[in-house]
Amino acid sequence: MKALCWEGINDVRVQDVPDPQLLNDQDMILKVRLSTVCGSDLHLLTGHIPFMQAGDVIGHEFMGEVVEVGAGVTRHRPGDRVVVCSFIVCGRCWYCRNELYSLCDNTNTNPAITQHLWGADPGGIFGYSHAMGGFRGSHAEYVRVPFADHTAIPIPEAVDDMSALFASDSVPTGWMGADLGGVKQGDVVAVWGCGAVGQMAARAAQLLGAERVLVIDRFDYRLRQAESAFGVETINYAETSVGEALLEATGGRGPDVCIEAVGCEAHSTGPQYVYDQVKSKLKLEMDRPIAVREAIYNCRKGGSVFVLGVFTGLVDKFPLGALMNKGLTVRGAQQHGQRYIPMLLDRIASGELVTSHLATHVMPLSEGARGYELFKKKEDDCVRSVFRL
Amino acid sequence: MNTAGKALLAAGVATAVAVVRRRRRTPQDQSADRWLAVTVYRSPEEVQSSLPDDLARWRDQVELRIQPATGDKGTELRVKPTGEVPAHELRLALRRAKAVLEAGEVVRADTAPTHPGPMGKVLQLVTNRAGGGGRL
Repeated sequence: MKALCWEGINDVRVQDVPDPQLLNDQDMILKVRLSTVCGSDLHLLTGHIPFMQAGDVIGHEFMGEVVEVGAGVTRHRPGDRVVVCSFIVCGRCWYCRNELYSLCDNTNTNPAITQHLWGADPGGIFGYSHAMGGFRGSHAEYVRVPFADHTAIPIPEAVDDMSALFASDSVPTGWMGADLGGVKQGDVVAVWGCGAVGQMAARAAQLLGAERVLVIDRFDYRLRQAESAFGVETINYAETSVGEALLEATGGRGPDVCIEAVGCEAHSTGPQYVYDQVKSKLKLEMDRPIAVREAIYNCRKGGSVFVLGVFTGLVDKFPLGALMNKGLTVRGAQQHGQRYIPMLLDRIASGELVTSHLATHVMPLSEGARGYELFKKKEDDCVRSVFRL
Repeated sequence: MNTAGKALLAAGVATAVAVVRRRRRTPQDQSADRWLAVTVYRSPEEVQSSLPDDLARWRDQVELRIQPATGDKGTELRVKPTGEVPAHELRLALRRAKAVLEAGEVVRADTAPTHPGPMGKVLQLVTNRAGGGGRL
């Protein structure tokens, strides 16, 4: 079959790879219909996450049709249309039973790597390096879905393929930021990053009762899209002081909840960005936590900061003083998708959650390299490239 | 060498250093009294009555302890070697036993890429041992 493979730094190519097989009783094989790029894939492309092998199939946000199920699969059958959460979960360990699905104990086949890096291993992810299990990704004609009963979720008839696609990762990730960030009725919420995840976090904050939601980015086309889709307020940090704008918007308090949806390769303006670039080039810093610093600094006293962006290791100049002295709650997580996806599909079906506008560039898998190039360089107002198979 | 290469090389060196250090230790240094443990989200009775083969096969060479975990988190399954059992094998056995007890089976990794490249081959050396390494 054809699949989009990581072949080296900034080198992805469509290759012929062996068809996936049922390897476990609880596996199923999915014929992928739609699979989208994600901002976190860029960390793989740039070599920021160094646990890739040439020939690894990438992609982790997808939906499709079931074509084969193992003997232990009871909830899906061939022909079913499902969305697959980017995190593979067993559904029965303590973490899964407590709806902390991305922390599943039983799905990372290489636990030692992340146990050494982070002290413990999170669950496995499709197409996201051998540190996260080494599972094949979704930019392929077919993909094996382990623990299919728990990893995949049926799509209601009222939800079209493109809308359902983003329920795989962007929507539940964004929702989780607002939910676990503790957004309440009347809150002012600021979201750093206006890609798909940031936009979904902003919409989630609205649906959870936030009175004002402000999104922050440097690309006007993304800010315009969020404003148009959800009526949120926007701040272009390349043109406006974020701190001043947030103080003005909140009567001098700062946002109640700050959601960071940028990740470890954040951009900025001014000397801070130069400093982080130099440190990372010299290998004195692994991640650039610019948006996290800004979120902590600008959050109101006693407020909440949620880190949604992907980070890999150690950061420098972490504002621990601000965190402690302002009495902040800081929390982060990879998405606990299975906790939210059924509810989110219902919201998509009802029309209160719109997602399909995120698919700005839909193309065949054969154009996968171009799709990543557009997405990475933010060319042609690209928010997400989506591969149709 | 690119960023990924340097990072992977560093990870490989760190792993090699850890292996050498482990091999240099005398048995006395290895904290022979130390228990390796996993917490299984099943009752102690279930764990006791259906101990998976992965762990049961070491039964004569380990001391085994099964006790309730705090806060309704299931059962702590602990082993301590009484004979010459490599810690790597015991970690692997504990993890596999936990997976079987909780999820019914041990998830298998997908087949490796056909052309992993030099750095990928180094990474394979790391991942081939990753199931029995790490912190337990």
